[in-house]
Amino acid sequence: MEPEVVNSEMLLPPVLPFKRVQMSDKYPKGHARGRHWKHLKQILQAENYPSYPANEPNYLNIETPPSMYPSKKFCDITGYEAQYIDPRTNLRYANPDVFKRIRMLPDDHVQRYLALRNAAVVLK
Amino acid sequence: MPSILRPSRQSDYDCFSSTTPIVIDNGGSTFRIGWAGELDPRVTFRNVVQRPRHKTTGETVTIVGDHDPALMKYFDYTRTSHRSAFDSNVVYQFEIMEYVLDYGFERLGADGLQVDHPIMMTECVCNPISSRSKMAELLFETYGVPSIAFGVDAAFSYKFNQQHGICTEDGLAVCAGVTTSHVIPFIKGEPVLEACCRTNIGGYHVTDYLRQLLSLKYPYHMSSITWEKAEELKMEHCYVALDYASELEIFQKGKKEAEEKTRSWQLPWVPPPQEEAPSEEELARKAALKEKQGQRLRDMAAAKRSIRITELENELHGLKDLLQQLDQAEETEISSILSKTGYDSRQEIESATQKITQSLRKAKGEQNETEERIDASLAEKYPLTNVPDDMLTPEQLKEKRKQMFLKTTSEGRLRAKQKRFEEESMREKQNQQEEEKRLENPELYLEQLHSRFRELTEKVEQRKRLKTNGARTNGNQNLSGGVGRGERLNAAQKERMRLLTTAAFDRGKGEDTFGARDEDWQLYKLMSKDNDDEENGQEEDEAELARVTSRLQDIDPTFVAKSDTVPLQGTPELPRFRPLTAEDFQIVIGVERFRCPEILFQPNMVGVDQAGLDEMAGVSFRRLSTVDDAVKDRISNSVLVTGGSSLFPGLVPRLEAGIRQIRPYLSPLKVVRASDPILDAWRGAATYAASLQFATQTFSMQDYYEKGEGWLRQHHIQYTL
Repeated sequence: MEPEVVNSEMLLPPVLPFKRVQMSDKYPKGHARGRHWKHLKQILQAENYPSYPANEPNYLNIETPPSMYPSKKFCDITGYEAQYIDPRTNLRYANPDVFKRIRMLPDDHVQRYLALRNAAVVLK
Repeated sequence: MPSILRPSRQSDYDCFSSTTPIVIDNGGSTFRIGWAGELDPRVTFRNVVQRPRHKTTGETVTIVGDHDPALMKYFDYTRTSHRSAFDSNVVYQFEIMEYVLDYGFERLGADGLQVDHPIMMTECVCNPISSRSKMAELLFETYGVPSIAFGVDAAFSYKFNQQHGICTEDGLAVCAGVTTSHVIPFIKGEPVLEACCRTNIGGYHVTDYLRQLLSLKYPYHMSSITWEKAEELKMEHCYVALDYASELEIFQKGKKEAEEKTRSWQLPWVPPPQEEAPSEEELARKAALKEKQGQRLRDMAAAKRSIRITELENELHGLKDLLQQLDQAEETEISSILSKTGYDSRQEIESATQKITQSLRKAKGEQNETEERIDASLAEKYPLTNVPDDMLTPEQLKEKRKQMFLKTTSEGRLRAKQKRFEEESMREKQNQQEEEKRLENPELYLEQLHSRFRELTEKVEQRKRLKTNGARTNGNQNLSGGVGRGERLNAAQKERMRLLTTAAFDRGKGEDTFGARDEDWQLYKLMSKDNDDEENGQEEDEAELARVTSRLQDIDPTFVAKSDTVPLQGTPELPRFRPLTAEDFQIVIGVERFRCPEILFQPNMVGVDQAGLDEMAGVSFRRLSTVDDAVKDRISNSVLVTGGSSLFPGLVPRLEAGIRQIRPYLSPLKVVRASDPILDAWRGAATYAASLQFATQTFSMQDYYEKGEGWLRQHHIQYTL
């Protein structure tokens, strides 16, 4: 190891005295490295919230409901309030200038703009 | 921007007794660890782990938090990126969590056989039980901690500010975090978790939105717009608009105010080197070089020619000698001499001599006079042509026919030459006349010429249009004249088709009178594919046009031929190449400054179908259905905004305006920002852990294993001690 790397103390020592179980014993080398950790969705499913009393707060039921107000439509490109939707790309746009730009956009940009508001076409 | 300085290892670990709790704020973006009762955390670093491979030794190393980018050259990190233990705001990757905790304890100076201190750790509101129990297991089994207490960061922040008199015991904590935002009501100093709510939007989304928008706006600079840079821009320039719609209007109408509010970020840009005009010397040098090269080529050509001349001369001499030899030789010797040379007869040698003489003359650059000589001796060359047939033998007759043919062709050539000459002289004369006209009245002449040019161009253009009528629209002009299926016909083709169809269908009905009149036969001419009786006229016109154009170009320097100025239709105008300027390397942030933080209030903008910060307060009030209005008024009179995203300028007034719309008319409302939205959670937890009753809120490993997960689920600490 280079001296400057050692001096910077940037690396985590592999063995630490204050630990009862060292990292290398817990996750031995060669064994499936990133062992599977349940993602949040799986964790929440395993929690089995429906079996608990309904008035007890849990991770799922404290979520905020959708807004009561109708959502405003904004131009995907400029951010201004959008009155129009391009039927070909489904992008919202504010004025004819933006429309011209939309029609010049490559398809992947269109998809990325749509993905920004979670409206992109997802192929499965 | 989080500091890239590595926290140094603390040396006073041993000074703390084993009853002093260690306080950990395990936040989504930063990890803070320190001692209970102290004002500031000892160690703070970004809550991420990177595991690159050391280039020389090849071993995988662990780097927690940020690091000096200059040292990254020793590591191969192409296959790993920053990894976080969090999914949303819940810890799920405990391997990474363990690295982070290792590093935290190590930096704090832990050196015993285990971490022998109670732990006060923050977690999210309503942390799923499996995450909480795994965290407890990790702390108990790996680090051997005696006892743990889990609390909510936003609640600690509220409690800390309550102790400092910023908010009261009944109130509302609005916590805008990294990945999520929470609103938690407090009654009598205790959080009411039943009435709290969470929206899955936070500072992370703001940064991501900004980065995506900018990289879509400037696709050429996508590589410059990194996550870190977007974070920096967000912290420096983003603000929350008090009224989003009117703020947008300012920008949309391009008011002066908008210009002032627009920021631009100049990317590193080096102007391209200026190309200097070549100096006189340079030009002279270049000309000399060109001249020299030309001279060399000329010399080479001359040398080649002289070589050829000598070669030909030698050959000619040889042949002449041979002829002399033949003249002097006996009849019998001739065949032997000839066989040696490869020639069959004397005539052959003579013709070869003539050929060589001619090419020699050509090589020497002399005028080829043979043609004239032939013309001159026309009569004697073809002597048989004037003799009647019956006076000749069959062989002579054959010869005569040959001579006749030769004679007519040469005569024809002569005639053509004469015609050419006449045409030339006529043109000369015309030019002369025009020149005279021009000298007489130059302006009038020029005008006439211009009008003639216009007339001709129009004529030619029109004819062209007529001919290719419509065929241009689909881009493929039919050169062969054949028309494919579905392609448009031009006028001439249409006419021909009409004629063909009428001819085909008229046949069967009535009396067939076709051919009775002479004009009927004209039909075939019209039907034929190459009926272009206008072709000649067109050619003439085009030639005339070319002449007029060249003439105009000669005498009028301002004249530009029309065909040059009008670009071909259909070909899109190519973007002009222009040198790049500093402006091309500027990233302008105008609307984005307040458009990105706006997602905290309108999560719909990024496709999250949940209410924003202001409405969340309303949701919380709704969920407090059992509480009477007096308490609600007290609550709304003490709204505390905390969390990293609350640092946006303008967020507090906006939130106040938003909540005011939700609350009943004239109800009291006070929105304040926490004294330090980022550190208050840790400070609150440190103060809490320092109190004497802290031990009553913790649980030990024994408790955990005896009582199980079900108990842990119910376990909530009392925030008011």
